[in-house]
Amino acid sequence: MAEKIKISTKKVNVFYGDKKALENINLEIPEKKVTSLIGPSGCGKSTFIRCLNRMNDTIDICRIEGKIIIDNEDIYSKEIDPVLLRAKVGMVFQKPNPFPKSIFENVAYGPRIHGLAKSDDELDELVTQSLVKAGLFQEIKDRIHEPGTSLSGGQQQRLCIARTIAISPQIILMDEPCSALDPIATAVIEELIDELAKNFTIVIVTHSMQQAARVSQQTAFFHMGNLIEVGRTDQIFSTPSQKKTQDYITGKIG
Amino acid sequence: MTNNLDRVELSLVGRKRSERLFKFYGFLGILIAFLFLITILYSVISQGQKAFFTTFIKVNIFFDSEIIDPQNQRNDEDIRYANFNKIITESLKKKFPENLNKNDSKELSSFISSSEADYLSGFVVKNKDYIGKYKNMWLLASSKIDVIVKNPEMEDLDEEDRLISDKQLGWLNQIRLNKELKKELNKNFFTKADSTEPEQAGIWGSLVGSFLTLLITLVLSFPVAVAAGVFLEELAPKNKFTEFLEVNINNLAAVPSIIYGLLGLAIFLNIMHLPRSAPIVGGMVLALMTLPTIIIATRSSLKSVPPSIREAAIGLGATRFQSVVDHVLPLAIPGIMTGTIIGMSRALGESAPLLMIGMVAFIVDVPTTFLDSSTALPVQIYLWKSTAARGFVELTAAGVIVLLVFLILMNGLAVFIRQKFEKKW
Repeated sequence: MAEKIKISTKKVNVFYGDKKALENINLEIPEKKVTSLIGPSGCGKSTFIRCLNRMNDTIDICRIEGKIIIDNEDIYSKEIDPVLLRAKVGMVFQKPNPFPKSIFENVAYGPRIHGLAKSDDELDELVTQSLVKAGLFQEIKDRIHEPGTSLSGGQQQRLCIARTIAISPQIILMDEPCSALDPIATAVIEELIDELAKNFTIVIVTHSMQQAARVSQQTAFFHMGNLIEVGRTDQIFSTPSQKKTQDYITGKIG
Repeated sequence: MTNNLDRVELSLVGRKRSERLFKFYGFLGILIAFLFLITILYSVISQGQKAFFTTFIKVNIFFDSEIIDPQNQRNDEDIRYANFNKIITESLKKKFPENLNKNDSKELSSFISSSEADYLSGFVVKNKDYIGKYKNMWLLASSKIDVIVKNPEMEDLDEEDRLISDKQLGWLNQIRLNKELKKELNKNFFTKADSTEPEQAGIWGSLVGSFLTLLITLVLSFPVAVAAGVFLEELAPKNKFTEFLEVNINNLAAVPSIIYGLLGLAIFLNIMHLPRSAPIVGGMVLALMTLPTIIIATRSSLKSVPPSIREAAIGLGATRFQSVVDHVLPLAIPGIMTGTIIGMSRALGESAPLLMIGMVAFIVDVPTTFLDSSTALPVQIYLWKSTAARGFVELTAAGVIVLLVFLILMNGLAVFIRQKFEKKW
């Protein structure tokens, strides 16, 4: 593949206590492309994506082996500060989880704790830009100081995306971002993902194969903690090389 | 299919009945609780309200210069130590023209509270013009007169069961007929500390004592408990040691309060030599007692904050501490406040640990600093209850009312603070 590789994982094993959740994952994720992770429930795709910004550090019993390399650095080496890593690798969660604060405060929180804006004007501008990029600004510009939780589900999720891009990460991880949304809100988010892929490397976990087919350029299929197959999205869905992938996309397992 | 529905319908009768029964039991429970509440409030208020008013007797005082200032020198010191009891007795005698013997005048003089002689001496020192003149004054009646006035049914008792003799009762009725008797707000009760005479005793001293004590308790326990709760719940690693701590904190919340009193006695008084009976020590002991309650409340309300909020903050690159302080703690404040209310209410009503550190003493001065000797409201109530004089019965009930009002005010304040933090979004 000609494109630059942003993330690569080498022999990654993940354990929850004694239980092995992921086994020997070797995956390369290209820069400024959308990579989708598909597979049946419990296959480890969410576990995998949470390894990429060390979100699993918050789970005491979770243990990780192997290497995850982002920009030639192993993110699990001792020199890497996970807080710094998460400023570079943003995350959007399955259920929209805005802070119980105003829309403005939701977006401003990240820049504020990282000291990204030097003045209030700069912060205003940054918040506005982030909301524009997340395609939310037009809808809510009159009520930017109203609570973020008063928005609809789809708007809340876009608010969470705006909140993430406000700290200008290089990578955005999305863990089933549309699973709690209706089809219309989902379509809006999918368009947004296309738009964001121009500037960000995006990794998205999804239950919907149609969604994976629509938004991503690369698709990886996980099954029972193993990475079965990875390749160009059109290839995976038209001519998968593995039997299990074939079974999954045709609905025989799942 | 129909068969099936029939069965469902049949089972529905039983299900509905058990629901009705449960509702009935619930209602019954509420009713019983309500009846108890009414009973308590009625008995306390019907007794206690009597102590809010006290009896005064109008006496035409003759400031006899022969008694006050026989040498006619108008010397402050001499006037102050003159025999004003005699002044009162002589003036009272004038109400009753019949000849009174020595014993009679003694009985008559007991109509007026012993504090009034001091009051008159202070009055005369400031107003020397009155020496040798008459002045109509309302003097505080003694407690036994007050009790008879407030409880008219006692007049029907036999002489030996009554607080006053037949003769005294006769005088009292005559005073009443002359409209020289009035009931007024009991200022002593609201401004003074304890006294051996019921009509001179007040709740203010122990109210201030309770306030100072609780202030210390709150200042010590709230920040420490919240910090400990946040640390244990959010920041500390989960291991055998923190598990051990958790179990022990839960156990501490159930330790009888008198144990904390003993601890305070052993450490604060005997080792640290802090002053006995002082609000600062009482506050420290009650803070120890309140700590586990607030820690447990803090932890459980932190636990109830959805983890998605934490993930959102951490996902944005907030440190664990930032995620707690900026997002989780504000959402937990209402729950923490509830725990604090419970802890502080318990501390306010607590007397056992205070007995251990000497806050049970007879203290006649209102405390002004955290180091002064003092009592607290429940201890004062206990002290009055165990005093023999009849006049303290009403004071005890009135003390309970004051304690309840204090409690309601304190809880009201906490509820107010809680609602300020409780954002409805």
